[in-house]
Amino acid sequence: MNTPRRSRSPLATVLSWLYVLILGIPLYYLVVSAMKSNIEIFTRPFALPANWLWENFGTAWQTADLGRALLNSVLVSLVAIALTLGLAVPAAYALARTDNRLARVITGTFSAGFLIPPFAALIPTVVLAIQVGLYGTREFQMLFLPASALPLSVLLLTQFMRTVPQALVESAALDGAGHWLLLTRVFVPIAMPGVVSVTILQLLTFWNEYLFSLTITGTGPDVRTVQVALPMLVSDATNLGVLAAGTVLTVLPVYVVYSLMNRRMQEALTAGAVKG
Amino acid sequence: MSLTSTRVHSPRVLWLTVPSLVWFAVFSVGPLAAMFVIATLRWKGLLYEPTYIGLENIGRVFADPTFHAAVRNSVIQVAIAIPVMIPLAFMLGYHLTTKPRGYRILSVLYFSPGLISISMTGMIFYGVLSPNGGVNGLLRGIGLDSWATAWLADPSTALPSLIAIDLWRGIGWTAVLFAARLASLPAEVIEAAQIDGAGRMRIMWRIAFPMVKDYVRTLAMLQFLWTLFTSAALILLLTKGGPGTSSTTLSYLVYAKAFSQRDLGYSQVVGVVLLLLGVAGMFLIRALLRGSEEDSR
Repeated sequence: MNTPRRSRSPLATVLSWLYVLILGIPLYYLVVSAMKSNIEIFTRPFALPANWLWENFGTAWQTADLGRALLNSVLVSLVAIALTLGLAVPAAYALARTDNRLARVITGTFSAGFLIPPFAALIPTVVLAIQVGLYGTREFQMLFLPASALPLSVLLLTQFMRTVPQALVESAALDGAGHWLLLTRVFVPIAMPGVVSVTILQLLTFWNEYLFSLTITGTGPDVRTVQVALPMLVSDATNLGVLAAGTVLTVLPVYVVYSLMNRRMQEALTAGAVKG
Repeated sequence: MSLTSTRVHSPRVLWLTVPSLVWFAVFSVGPLAAMFVIATLRWKGLLYEPTYIGLENIGRVFADPTFHAAVRNSVIQVAIAIPVMIPLAFMLGYHLTTKPRGYRILSVLYFSPGLISISMTGMIFYGVLSPNGGVNGLLRGIGLDSWATAWLADPSTALPSLIAIDLWRGIGWTAVLFAARLASLPAEVIEAAQIDGAGRMRIMWRIAFPMVKDYVRTLAMLQFLWTLFTSAALILLLTKGGPGTSSTTLSYLVYAKAFSQRDLGYSQVVGVVLLLLGVAGMFLIRALLRGSEEDSR
């Protein structure tokens, strides 16, 4: 786990912090704009607000009905993650315990699916939602999102479950443990880091999903998620301060979670890409 | 390998994969296959009855100047975004693994745009790029008033702005992924090269890069597919493909034809073209970043 000796390279140092600046400036601009009026945003774009318009947050919250939208997002994400794990964990258990051609074909199917971005089939998915009578509902997203998450989830969980020592499985089997006991008492506890990684990774994906929520669940105030609700603040005469305030409110939950557990989250998200 | 030989050989436990396979078939494979069917239909919006017209849509699409513009814009978008993003991200990722001062903070900061959804990114840059927004404010502040423009409403800057946003959010995130992979390399190889007096650039490109080349290829493919297929969301939020067709990509054309112009057959012909381009691009990336990982073992 060693890393190369600390080496000094002024150019790399300068460039790496320059990129931080490029990343940071739009975010700083967003946060200071959130407490300004349009006129002040235009005339003094990077200055701190002259008078702090905290009411922008309240206006954004009410105009876009963010409270209800946040609840919808939480509901869709939680049901979708429960369903994802319910489908992926048994599948990964089966694939980790079997080594034959059929198992390899199934693994290959999920590997191919991992490369196909779900957006490729947006319009047929809308047609499907209409056909099954779930167009304009949150329920379709709850059912659909797990499908798009399955390839990566199954592949990652299978890798973690392969680390279960064979001796442990055999001794448990000798004691008469069936699949259910093996799964819940042996495989899931040992593969727990994988389960946590998949949960974090897919919760973030579900929370951030935009195009399918927009086109299938739609913009109805009762059902829309927060990602769909916020852009509704854009109009011909957008109040940029209110829009910025709403954006801050919407991005904040993710950042709060990230600041509480950034190591854990970074590990989870990089595991997703490194192992997938 | 004794592990594999003692694994269960009866395929009965594989029944447990059936629910997830069914789910995947219904919601992912089914819609993907349906694209090819819808591409052969005349279908004026989701509430109408479609009629079968065979390959007629294909002729219509290929004769349409909007489609030509979309192909051009998509090619420009991936041909700039990916070759810029991947090498810069690799270099930044390598820089992170040398543990420079403040590398923990750097990696947290690089990682953070990856947490922001596409719709929030759109809203942030809606403000930043608006005529009275942050970029123009910055330009006026440093005396470059003449450079200020309506970034998203100017045909010559709309697409470059969208590419810049792709890079803004993509480089740091990809760099952290590279850093995670590079950290798992044996340190002795790089230490030995340093003792031999190899320079930083030489170690980075001649030693570290070949060892993770397969991973570079994987990330290049993922970023390529991501950029090619999902650009519709940001375009929908920021430019609606305009002005004119100056920022219409294939991905956005699929969306616009289906939802605003109510021509589902056309939309799905473009969808199939997009899919084929995606596959072709993957083969291209595989060929460009081929095989020298075997040499270094």
